[in-house]
Amino acid sequence: MKILIVDDSSTMRRIIINTLSRIGYTDVVEAEHGKAGLEKLNQGGVEMIITDWNMPEMDGLEFVQTVRGQNPNIPILMVTTNAAKEDIVQALQSGVNNYVVKPFTPETLKEKIESLLG
Amino acid sequence: MDQSEIDALLKAAGSQPAAAKPKKSKDAPAAAAAPAQPASHAPAQGHGDASPEGQVISELDAVTAVTERETNKVMDQLDLISQLVGRQQALITEVMQQPGAQDKSVQEAIREIMASGKEIQDKVFEAMDLMQFQDITRQKLERIVFHLRQIHDYIVDLLGTGLKDENERASISHTIQTTGTRPDEQKAHADAVVEEFMKRQKKG
Repeated sequence: MKILIVDDSSTMRRIIINTLSRIGYTDVVEAEHGKAGLEKLNQGGVEMIITDWNMPEMDGLEFVQTVRGQNPNIPILMVTTNAAKEDIVQALQSGVNNYVVKPFTPETLKEKIESLLG
Repeated sequence: MDQSEIDALLKAAGSQPAAAKPKKSKDAPAAAAAPAQPASHAPAQGHGDASPEGQVISELDAVTAVTERETNKVMDQLDLISQLVGRQQALITEVMQQPGAQDKSVQEAIREIMASGKEIQDKVFEAMDLMQFQDITRQKLERIVFHLRQIHDYIVDLLGTGLKDENERASISHTIQTTGTRPDEQKAHADAVVEEFMKRQKKG
């Protein structure tokens, strides 16, 4: 199971990778913004996406909308500091499958990933 | 913080034109004429201006770059501790299998050492998770700059054309207030919104 992590914070990417490895997901690719995320995605093999919202170059919302134009089925989890109801609804309408507000616990990330993977 | 970092901060704070710093601007203030909006949705904009706002943003970028780098150094150390504990546990497992270590009391002592090793490992992971504060603090700072810009524009507007509407004034601190700092502080809220959205999708 290859997971793409898109976040402009190297610290946050590290934390997510660390959490994923503790719950058994070690095949990970990283990107620092949506544009780079699309490039990684186009290289193939990615089965799930974890993305931040606020990023330079291409933000998470635009990234999700672009991904959905190409791939309507890939599970996408948004992990962001945006906690307002209208933000969450906007993300879901854009094609995000589930939503985690930072800061999160490893248990929450695990729960969300497992629910997305069914 | 070493001298080069202090110099970098001082440089970004004003002794150097802001245009010299091509750093990202994910939550940069919107253009002066743009309508009020949450900082997180503000369009990206370069910092290549020498205005006070441009200098503040450059300074902020320098501060967040330093904290990100230092946080990663702490993460490196935690990684190292984690690897050392893992190595220690592997060595202890080998020792447990040695003929001289089959004594009941020795086995019991080794088990206790293994348990405490696992406890250290868990605490290291917990500390790593807490490093999320760096990214959250950075985004809060970026939003504060955005809101300062809004206040600045508001005051200019007030002096020029009179009062703006209540909604615009009320939006100023909204984004900061909705950002939590404790792990899972917003989980129930986010889960409820997701659930409500899914139910509506099914109905529709």
